[in-house]
Amino acid sequence: MVSKTEETQLNRLENQVDNGGGGAWEYLCLARKLKVRRPEKVLKYGLSILNDSKKRSALGPEEWTLYEQVAIAAMDCQCLDVAKDCIKVLRKKFPESKRVGRLEGMLLEAKGLWGEAEKAYSSLSEDNPLDQVIHKRRVAMAKAQGNISAAIEWLNKYLEIFMADHDAWRELAEIYVSLQMYKQAAFCYEELILSQPTVPLYHLAYADVLYTLGGLENLQTAKKYYASTIDLTGGKNTRALLGICLCTSAIGQVQKAGTKKTRRVQSCSLWQQKPWRKITKRELMINMACLLVF
Amino acid sequence: MAEDLVLDTAIRDWVLIPLSVVMVLIGILRYFVSKLMLSSQLPDPKIVKEGQIIVRARNLRAAANFIPPKSFRSRRVYFSNEENGLLFVPKGQAQNPQAQMFSDPNMAMDMMKKNLSMIIPQTLTFAWVNFFFSGFVAAKIPFPLTQRFRSMLQNGIDLSTVDVSYVSSRSWYFLNLFGLRGLFSLILGEENATDDTQRMMQMSGFGFDPSKNLGAEKDGLDIVQHEWALPKFEHRAEAVLKKLIK
Repeated sequence: MVSKTEETQLNRLENQVDNGGGGAWEYLCLARKLKVRRPEKVLKYGLSILNDSKKRSALGPEEWTLYEQVAIAAMDCQCLDVAKDCIKVLRKKFPESKRVGRLEGMLLEAKGLWGEAEKAYSSLSEDNPLDQVIHKRRVAMAKAQGNISAAIEWLNKYLEIFMADHDAWRELAEIYVSLQMYKQAAFCYEELILSQPTVPLYHLAYADVLYTLGGLENLQTAKKYYASTIDLTGGKNTRALLGICLCTSAIGQVQKAGTKKTRRVQSCSLWQQKPWRKITKRELMINMACLLVF
Repeated sequence: MAEDLVLDTAIRDWVLIPLSVVMVLIGILRYFVSKLMLSSQLPDPKIVKEGQIIVRARNLRAAANFIPPKSFRSRRVYFSNEENGLLFVPKGQAQNPQAQMFSDPNMAMDMMKKNLSMIIPQTLTFAWVNFFFSGFVAAKIPFPLTQRFRSMLQNGIDLSTVDVSYVSSRSWYFLNLFGLRGLFSLILGEENATDDTQRMMQMSGFGFDPSKNLGAEKDGLDIVQHEWALPKFEHRAEAVLKKLIK
């Protein structure tokens, strides 16, 4: 996750470089450090540095990392010739390197030659069974081919070994949600909440999944998680506010009698009578506060 | 006995400074040699997996109050149940890591290499110091010391009436040995092979790291009482919204 300051810094550098000021190299370094995906810009400015032999020699040993970065950006933009050239240069310099082997595998992937890419990756992973990037590339390949169940399988195998990798859990959760396997997705989101309990995104997603699952207990739990999202975001997340409202109305429908519950249902239906556009944020929040109290 | 001995400035020029310079140079030399001899050690998959398990179990312990009780309980059972819990290490296996470390040729070679690269320069320099720079007072320590230190700090000086603050060059060597660590981390960057003291400390606490960690995590996990924090959040959210409305 990129922090706010880093994001503003990145945008500032981007504007600066776009408008002709210098600083392309700092921008590329920052993009590489933060692992953001800006292929067109990286490609444009990276190539401008690489094609100018004076600037290239000024980089020193960082030149090769720049080649790698530009190669990946070129593959993203489908400029496969550029990527092939960069990889050739790297291969000449580092003939036995696994990192270059990985790039070549990625090039095969970008060309759509799945079988050969798979062969390349399996030979690389035999030499180095603990290379995380190769595992992730395999998952990405399976996903790109549309073979979601294979992607799930690979991802599960990856997570058996590297179970502290929260990005992988997140990917798995999204895949499960796309396949409507909500129980498994809930498990993944729980893992995410465990590893990063103060990120409201995961609470919100977990609450969504629980709400979708339905059933009284899940709805009540979902309501609690929407509330925690509101707390973590200071009340600014409209989705969480809406979520609470929907949860309480659903709970009211599921439950039969009881005075407390009818009050809840009443205030919720009151809200639902007004047309959606006319509801101001203030009214929404007043309703939320009432719902939470009961 | 507090008469002040006047030490020749030649001592400073020809003993203290050269000794420090030589030690710095030897440190740098060792750093480069260790870089050359570095064999890339392939991480053992089992150890990596155990490390990740420990991180996950630790997360579970730390944030247990954020997930529903049922999920927490199921995870706890997953980690610490008797048959195939991830953290469960049967008694017999617990002794393995250290034995394994000595029998595994690669690791033993690496450890030996590291040890040698530490011991040999130290021994050589120490012998050199003893041979050339002994038998005279090299420096004066600014604070007074008791008599017990005499044998340690004044080995070449056979006069028992000299104040213990006057030390021989052997003590200057030891001072440099431990003190130049800071200088090396400035010049050579953080991770350098000259970090002897750190490695010496590591040596003593080595060995049982993996399996003891697992056992410790399991115990910690068993102890945790799950207290679901989410109901509190509802009240807090209500307070937040009320504040926003005002």
